[in-house]
Amino acid sequence: MRESPVQWEFGQHLLEELLAGRITRREFVRSATVVGLSLSGIVSLLAVGAKQEVRAQTPQVKKGGTMTVALVPPTAAVDPVTMFDAGAIAVVQQVAEYLVWAENDLSLRPVLATRWEPDQNGKTWTFTLRGGVTFSDGRPVTADDVVATFDRLTDPKTNSAALSNFKGILSKGNIEKVGQNRVAFHLDRPFVDFPYFVSSTNYNAVVLPKDYAGDFEKRPIGSGPFLLTAYSPKQSASFKRNPRYWQEGLPYLEGVELRFFAEPQPQVLALQASAVDMMLATPFQGSQALFTDPNVTILTTRSSKHRAVHMRVDTAPFSDKRLRQAIALCLDRPKIVQGLFQGRADVGNDEVFAPVFPDGPNIGVRTQNYQKAKQLLQAAGFSGEVKITLTYEVYQEVPQYAVFLQEMMKPAGVNVVLEQMTQAQYYGSGSNQPWLQVAMGITDWASRVTPSQFVLPAYTCGGVWNSAHWCNEDFDTLAKQFDATLDKTRRRSIARRMALIQQDATPAIISYWINAPRAVRKRVQGVAASGSDFLDLTKASLA
Amino acid sequence: MVRFLLRRLGLIVPTLWLVSLLIFGLAEIVPGDVARTILGPYATPQQVEALRHQLGADRPLLVRYAHWLSNFVTGNWGDSVILHTPVRPFVFARLANSVQLALVALLITIPISLVLGVLAGLHVDRPTDLAISVIGLALTAIPEFVSGVLFLVVFGVQLGWFPIIAEVPPGATLVERLRHLLLPAIPLMLVLFGYIARMARAGMVDVMDSAYIRTAVLKGLPRWYVVTHHALRNALLPTITVIGAQVGWLVGGLVVVEILFTYPGLGKLIYDSAIGHDIPVLEATALVVATIFMVSNLTADLVVALLNPRIRYARE
Repeated sequence: MRESPVQWEFGQHLLEELLAGRITRREFVRSATVVGLSLSGIVSLLAVGAKQEVRAQTPQVKKGGTMTVALVPPTAAVDPVTMFDAGAIAVVQQVAEYLVWAENDLSLRPVLATRWEPDQNGKTWTFTLRGGVTFSDGRPVTADDVVATFDRLTDPKTNSAALSNFKGILSKGNIEKVGQNRVAFHLDRPFVDFPYFVSSTNYNAVVLPKDYAGDFEKRPIGSGPFLLTAYSPKQSASFKRNPRYWQEGLPYLEGVELRFFAEPQPQVLALQASAVDMMLATPFQGSQALFTDPNVTILTTRSSKHRAVHMRVDTAPFSDKRLRQAIALCLDRPKIVQGLFQGRADVGNDEVFAPVFPDGPNIGVRTQNYQKAKQLLQAAGFSGEVKITLTYEVYQEVPQYAVFLQEMMKPAGVNVVLEQMTQAQYYGSGSNQPWLQVAMGITDWASRVTPSQFVLPAYTCGGVWNSAHWCNEDFDTLAKQFDATLDKTRRRSIARRMALIQQDATPAIISYWINAPRAVRKRVQGVAASGSDFLDLTKASLA
Repeated sequence: MVRFLLRRLGLIVPTLWLVSLLIFGLAEIVPGDVARTILGPYATPQQVEALRHQLGADRPLLVRYAHWLSNFVTGNWGDSVILHTPVRPFVFARLANSVQLALVALLITIPISLVLGVLAGLHVDRPTDLAISVIGLALTAIPEFVSGVLFLVVFGVQLGWFPIIAEVPPGATLVERLRHLLLPAIPLMLVLFGYIARMARAGMVDVMDSAYIRTAVLKGLPRWYVVTHHALRNALLPTITVIGAQVGWLVGGLVVVEILFTYPGLGKLIYDSAIGHDIPVLEATALVVATIFMVSNLTADLVVALLNPRIRYARE
């Protein structure tokens, strides 16, 4: 496959970075795939026998069988355009496909697109589609379908769950068919990480037929490895192998059964009793028994899933930066990680560059320092006891985390009153959305694959989910530069400046990044963990 | 008797209307809203507002209620706002599941509770009575989610005798059905056992102490004959009323058991539709459960009246 001059130039730059030791081999591959360098291009650049990334498959993979997966039920009717929860996403991912799939190491695997390339400044991205792919009803997957898919997702008049993701990056009408099998995305501004926005990480971005009418449960048409044969709301979804699937010999499984459970505990018991083969997601809380079960394998991957403890910078007493810093200095982060996850998380540093992000800077870990915390409080004029209220939702380990925070702040003279809410109460609706309104709250953030997906909504001046109400124009400018910068060294330097600004201002405490475990029975093969709880069973099999 | 029956049946309609009104009002208090449930946390406020308008959720409460009621009474139960599935078949399928589980639970619970309760009543303050009473109270005090997990771990995971998932597969035989339903029925039995057995015991103690029983004994009738032919019928009257009152709970109130045993019944459906503000499903489910409550209580009263001529004639 031939690379464009821009891609080739960028590849050369990456190679220089690699040879200079500024990036790792893994980062090289990841960055090369993001700008659409083909495998042959990467191989020739490395001049070593690069191996195509394939999942571990034993030569004697057993074909056939039905794999049963335990997961939470879709909240609402399953519709790829509006879906937002793991249950609905897993149903759709068996039936429909993305242009690109993002692997756990954030490298991009071509699916319905075979290659992609940016223009000189990263504002227009052109994707070439794979030929010979058909939808399950026999119609070919065309550039028109891709244009219609992304027009639908960016249309403010639809209920697209991806709309907020695309805000300020891609607008309706700016997706253009530029050939029989080529589609150009004309972005609102240069965006280096754009391929992620058409990948699995933007989970609504499955390619659907042009005439899709929002009736996925009745007409589940896609190009994916399985066909949806039965769907029973809140109970189960059944799939059988798609005989038209474009990858020869795949999938290995004859069928898939998704079994919905309301809570993790019954899922754990079902896995232990072999009633299911795997859990889509295995939150550590409530699933501890599986981590020592000899019949169960725990697949794990890093993720950017975290809890942000926001402090409203426009509301007393948090309007004083020194109080926010003092609170952050009270935390013994390794102890929190150990206490909540028995070490299955990365320590966070109050900035959004999770360790899983390749361009993350290393600005030094914020360690517990009561002396400094007390000094800051004194300097800020807090002479006696400081009383604050921490609002949080009942979700996974969040209540325990709130207690950890309360206990750790006590020695510095900060008295935390805990205010617990159900998830529905915490997120609320209309004019009553505590997570955006309370002075201090703990919000759960799902995994994302680019820092910008946290930065834009939560930490920029106009961010729709800016719970801390923090606004720093320098930070916003840097965020835009970060998104538009191809050069690795420069990008990393910008990231460092952003991280330092954010850590200094401390609009939110981010003390850990949670690993994503996935529990499977020993007989399950060809399945990987997923930081976003996605489910790719194309190469799955049962021993 | 007929007048009593007609009066009770006549009360069903206004009661259901009141229930529907209360449910509609109470759903307003539950946090969250239907548009946010459908679109999720990442939808923009504009999208949420637009959907609220589209669904009519921004209209005044009474307007929405009148709209729903006018459709419901004409047999149009509508579609689930959230799941986009027709309400009536969805709710009735869940009702059938709940009734099956309730039946199995009652079939196990009633004979065991009555036999042991009567036995305790006949041996009052003796070791048999003490053992049954103490065990019954202890079992009633164990919440069903505790006993449920215990049974699942022992009989489902470790011994593998029963399926972990209680949902009965389509086309299952009667034996297979019972195998699926037995495990979730046991925690229910434990909860109900102490209650029903204590009622049966109290009834038996009361009746055995009455003058007509003493007369029968003094006449020289055998003890077993006195118990079965004279005491039992009167002793069990309050117990029947209690059983009737539990049927509604068994059909519509088993949220925890349904979650734990992955059983698609009405209890979890009511909970989900209340949290999600899915009014058509919530109202239909609540009214079905309310009807079951009233019918089961009425049936219990009728059985009591049939067994006890004094009550029957008094009502007439």
